[in-house]
Amino acid sequence: GLFHDLIPQYNYLSDPFDHPVSASDSDDDSVEDIDEQEIYDLISSISDPEHPLSLGSLAVVNLPDIHILPPTSPYSSISTVLVEVTPTITHCSLATVIGLGVRVRLEQALPPRFRVDVRIKKGTHSTDEAVNKQLGDKERVAAALENGTLMGVLRKMLSTCE
Amino acid sequence: MPPPPEALSYTLQPLATLSPPSNSRTWQSAPHPNLPLVGTACSDRTVRVYSLTSFTLLHTITGGHKRSVRSVSWKPGVKGQSVLATGSFDASAGIWRRDERGLEEQDYTRRRIGGDGDEGEEEEDDDYQFSCILDGHESEIKSLSWSPSGQYLATCSRDKSVWIWEELEDDNFETIAVLQEHDGDVKCVAWHPEEDLLASASYDDTVRLYREDADDWVQVALLDGHKMTVWWVEFEGSWMTRKDFRAHRDGLTEEQTRHVELSERSGPRLATCSDDCTVRIWHREPKEGTGRASTNTGIPSIIRSMAVDEDWVQEVVLPQRHERAIYSVSWSQKTGMIVSAGSDGKILVYKERWKTQTPNGASVGDEDTRMVENSQLTEWVVVAELFSAHDVFEINHVCWAARSDKGRRSEDEEVILSTGDDGEVKVWVLNELNIGELKGK
Repeated sequence: GLFHDLIPQYNYLSDPFDHPVSASDSDDDSVEDIDEQEIYDLISSISDPEHPLSLGSLAVVNLPDIHILPPTSPYSSISTVLVEVTPTITHCSLATVIGLGVRVRLEQALPPRFRVDVRIKKGTHSTDEAVNKQLGDKERVAAALENGTLMGVLRKMLSTCE
Repeated sequence: MPPPPEALSYTLQPLATLSPPSNSRTWQSAPHPNLPLVGTACSDRTVRVYSLTSFTLLHTITGGHKRSVRSVSWKPGVKGQSVLATGSFDASAGIWRRDERGLEEQDYTRRRIGGDGDEGEEEEDDDYQFSCILDGHESEIKSLSWSPSGQYLATCSRDKSVWIWEELEDDNFETIAVLQEHDGDVKCVAWHPEEDLLASASYDDTVRLYREDADDWVQVALLDGHKMTVWWVEFEGSWMTRKDFRAHRDGLTEEQTRHVELSERSGPRLATCSDDCTVRIWHREPKEGTGRASTNTGIPSIIRSMAVDEDWVQEVVLPQRHERAIYSVSWSQKTGMIVSAGSDGKILVYKERWKTQTPNGASVGDEDTRMVENSQLTEWVVVAELFSAHDVFEINHVCWAARSDKGRRSEDEEVILSTGDDGEVKVWVLNELNIGELKGK
């Protein structure tokens, strides 16, 4: 599998309190299957907040803009998923909400060993850096998920998944 | 096979996981100033108070906040009771009190006489009582902190402001300053250990310092250097030059002696950490005419029009070993060591030393990223590195606390507390490896 050689065998490093090795092994098996296509499948069915269309059909999310980065150290089991989204118009005020939807969808669907980075594809949005900064801010994302109104919008966007 | 140990002279060993853990994200933990307790801010809107003696949950403070509790701070210098401030995503801060008078005696009596039963009633008496709410911020409170004297409480928020509150009498808080210098969320506030000097770190990538000038709190310094959000800011302990590696004055060169004198004149330094994956240390340039060593600096004295302004400069960037946002950095007040943690799930411990003194020659010569040169006479080295401290989860906070369990090896021994997205607060001991130099101890 993709990660087989990258994931360290010495599981005690990952968990100093010694969970049974067999449990970690089965985790590894499930991780092997996750590739860019699977990430795409998880997020392409998200609905656009203002159109009755999916992010995949609007080409807001595209397979070539999804990257899985393996752990950077043999002592780490943390992989990174980088998704670059392309807003439909350069001034789309909902870019942040779309990005948040993608991040939330992946954080809910992927095992916790994945860090999810969602960015606006460079040059496709007038304020992409500001949006990227918001999407990358864990604390803001956490607070957004405690906001009832915003959660309502996200729930609707994600209702077309699965 | 553990990470290469050549330059590492300590290991972090797990001592305990505070039990039971929360079943949702925990944000930050604050050790009590004098009791073996730690309060943990939880995303389930509660604060959990654990014992650092038994590592078990003593209290869960509920019913106050409508959203995540993001930050907790114990009021220092209080006798007979514990006072806890809580800051929440619901934009409010809460003050909670618990009577601690004759706590131990009371407990013994109850245990012996009461024996069985009445647990419910006792719990109610023993609980933290809600005392008052501090309203004013327009959005999530990100951090709060009592000043060392307990006179002031600082709060900061996504609304870009820093508020300073003064407790005039019990439960009567007055807003004495609303500082709106930042251009973005204010992530963290921290007080100088000796002076009424406040620091704040922000989403606008800067750190700002404030003090009172003619009845008004004003910005006195702007620290610009981080390239991304600054998540945490913390001052060095008081008079660390007399506690850390600088305390051993025998055999110092003239330059080194002068360095120590200058350090003492500028006072405690500041550590900051950021989304840009760096930890930075800043110091105040000593002002002319202050301090006992000021007469022989040879620099002409310039009378500044803004006497209250302070000149803070970046001293060093610590060795860059984090790969993602660093959320927390903490300075040991016993040893001067620094610990950091963040999104990559690693805990790193750094130690400062004289640059010319290499311990055993092992780490000299290789392209060692653990050693970062600075223009000063000292350097910081990574002395311990632990991967996956909370399994695959992010670490939101890390700090030092006095070790209080029965395994404690010395009066001064400290533990490291790490607080993670897995809802766990873990306790770590730092063990010195038996290789290399043994300084002083």
